[in-house]
Amino acid sequence: MRKAFQLALAAFFVWLAQGIFAQGQVDRRPVVIERPPLRFIKDPNPSFSAVAVDSDSNMLVVSDENMFRIMEYDRRESTPPRARLTEPKRIISGTNTKAEMICGVYIDPKTKEIYALNGDTQNWMPVFSTNARGNVAPNRALNIPGHPFQMAADEEKQLLYMTIQSDNKIVVYRKQASGGEKPVRTIEGNDTQLEDPHGIALDLKNKLIFVSNFGNVDFKAAGRAGRFGKFEPPSITVYPMEASGNVKPLRVIEGPKTLMNWPAHMAFHEERQELFVANDADNSILVFRATDEGDSAPLRIIKGPKTGIKSPPGIALDGKLGELYVANMGTPSITVFPVTANGDVVPTRTIRGGPEGAVGLMIGNPGAVGYDTKREQILVPN
Amino acid sequence: MHDIRYDEVHDEFLVVNPFADAILTFRGGTSGQESPVRIIQGPHAKIGGNRLDVDPIHNEIFVPDGNRIRVYPREANGDVAPIRIIEGPDTQLTRAESLAVDPVNNILVAGFNKQGNDPNGAILVFNRTDNGNVKPRAVIRGPKSGIIRINQMAVYPPKKLIVATMPGLVDLMEPPNAFLGIWTYDDNGDIPPKWKIPIGPKTTLKKPFGVVLNPKNKEIIISDMRLNSVLTFSVPEIF
Repeated sequence: MRKAFQLALAAFFVWLAQGIFAQGQVDRRPVVIERPPLRFIKDPNPSFSAVAVDSDSNMLVVSDENMFRIMEYDRRESTPPRARLTEPKRIISGTNTKAEMICGVYIDPKTKEIYALNGDTQNWMPVFSTNARGNVAPNRALNIPGHPFQMAADEEKQLLYMTIQSDNKIVVYRKQASGGEKPVRTIEGNDTQLEDPHGIALDLKNKLIFVSNFGNVDFKAAGRAGRFGKFEPPSITVYPMEASGNVKPLRVIEGPKTLMNWPAHMAFHEERQELFVANDADNSILVFRATDEGDSAPLRIIKGPKTGIKSPPGIALDGKLGELYVANMGTPSITVFPVTANGDVVPTRTIRGGPEGAVGLMIGNPGAVGYDTKREQILVPN
Repeated sequence: MHDIRYDEVHDEFLVVNPFADAILTFRGGTSGQESPVRIIQGPHAKIGGNRLDVDPIHNEIFVPDGNRIRVYPREANGDVAPIRIIEGPDTQLTRAESLAVDPVNNILVAGFNKQGNDPNGAILVFNRTDNGNVKPRAVIRGPKSGIIRINQMAVYPPKKLIVATMPGLVDLMEPPNAFLGIWTYDDNGDIPPKWKIPIGPKTTLKKPFGVVLNPKNKEIIISDMRLNSVLTFSVPEIF
């Protein structure tokens, strides 16, 4: 009897202790640690990710993925060697803009509106008027699921073509689309050989779509096998302009002679019938013939220390004036070349957003951080 | 890439490439365009999700993928199937996007995001060796917890602590309630964190995404998406 009482008493105390513990958890007030960081790693300069040019209005629009800005310069600017930087004519930036990790920009040739493509963190393509500046709401915005990277316009048909990284597809929207409007067409499926598509360029004369692929394959298998990945070499796949659904490319540029390594934005020169490729991980610009196929060597390569090209994700062509604009992430600059440039050549102009020789930290949307205890180094994936 | 983990026992670091559904292991100190030393990828591996953690003691890699957590041998290379999968209705796993493993106390913590009309994300605590349709040991969830979604997570085995970034609603550029929270393994239910590093002018944080601990220097290292930066805080009181 006494033992039973002792057991009951012990059980009561355990129950009480659990209750007190649980109540303590519920009533917990967090200890708020509010103090400045000991150290702060931050790039003070812009990280130029995309560029668009309109020579009729002398507009040069660039996106800055470091400070989430869209900046307009006069395209004729050239930063003097002793100047710290060139100030932009206007900046669009802030939480009202729906613009954050902007990886693609486009200037409407008639209205001069700026189209901006969020590649990550926001699913919007905001469109801004010519007088938008500061933390303004866009005139309109289109919701684009996935991770788009570049857009190209067919002005005659008023269509916008875009690459969607995470779904390995091309989407085609009405140019005036906004809100949750759906694409009018998609190119998608295992037969397309779209493998982490990034750049897109249109040959409006011959009605072709060029797409650059990093080579990350997300294969959707039939039945219960589900989806799985594999690695393929980087490539450029070519489709008919009106393609839709799971279509095979007309041809593929791929192989070691192409020198492609993270082929990013592309631009097509219709008169010259040449395809320009920002070859990000090789610090180069590659130029292919429009008809190239298979393991083709580039026609021209702009690369080397004199060029100032460093980690270039973005390019734009001014076909009228024969100029090529390169957005560099590895250093805060836009470098300008004649379209015929070849080899290790000095740019005709450089527009700097930071001091000469500044090296870009290239921290972009750091989703995680690691620490190498052996080397006492911080690892930052982007 | 949304995760990176350093394995100090084997001097390697691991990442997930979500665009190619692959786990890549690199030797420590790798730079430039050096290839990984091992790749787990293929139809049997079925790598989903984009985060991971490594247990260097029991030689296992954990990968969260929505409704499940897959476990692979650390030294696997090629199309290797998982050796365990935590999956099923009893697990309460939905939108599991992050985790951390404690090989000393044999604990696995998983974080997930809000889903549908439920405004709350959660932290689930499992045993390290759990397999199949198992119930979690504890679930930290509810408005007092402040969890809407969890990004990167870390654990501190000596004090049995769970450290997690809570960056707030995904579609807000600067969510008003983001923070880094620190809970204990014993926490269960709608529990506020024991310690909290909030966003704001004092800490300068805006949207904490990544976290890793440096116990040697008693520091918490945080990556902040909205600042595109890495900040190191001295927090001796938690170590």
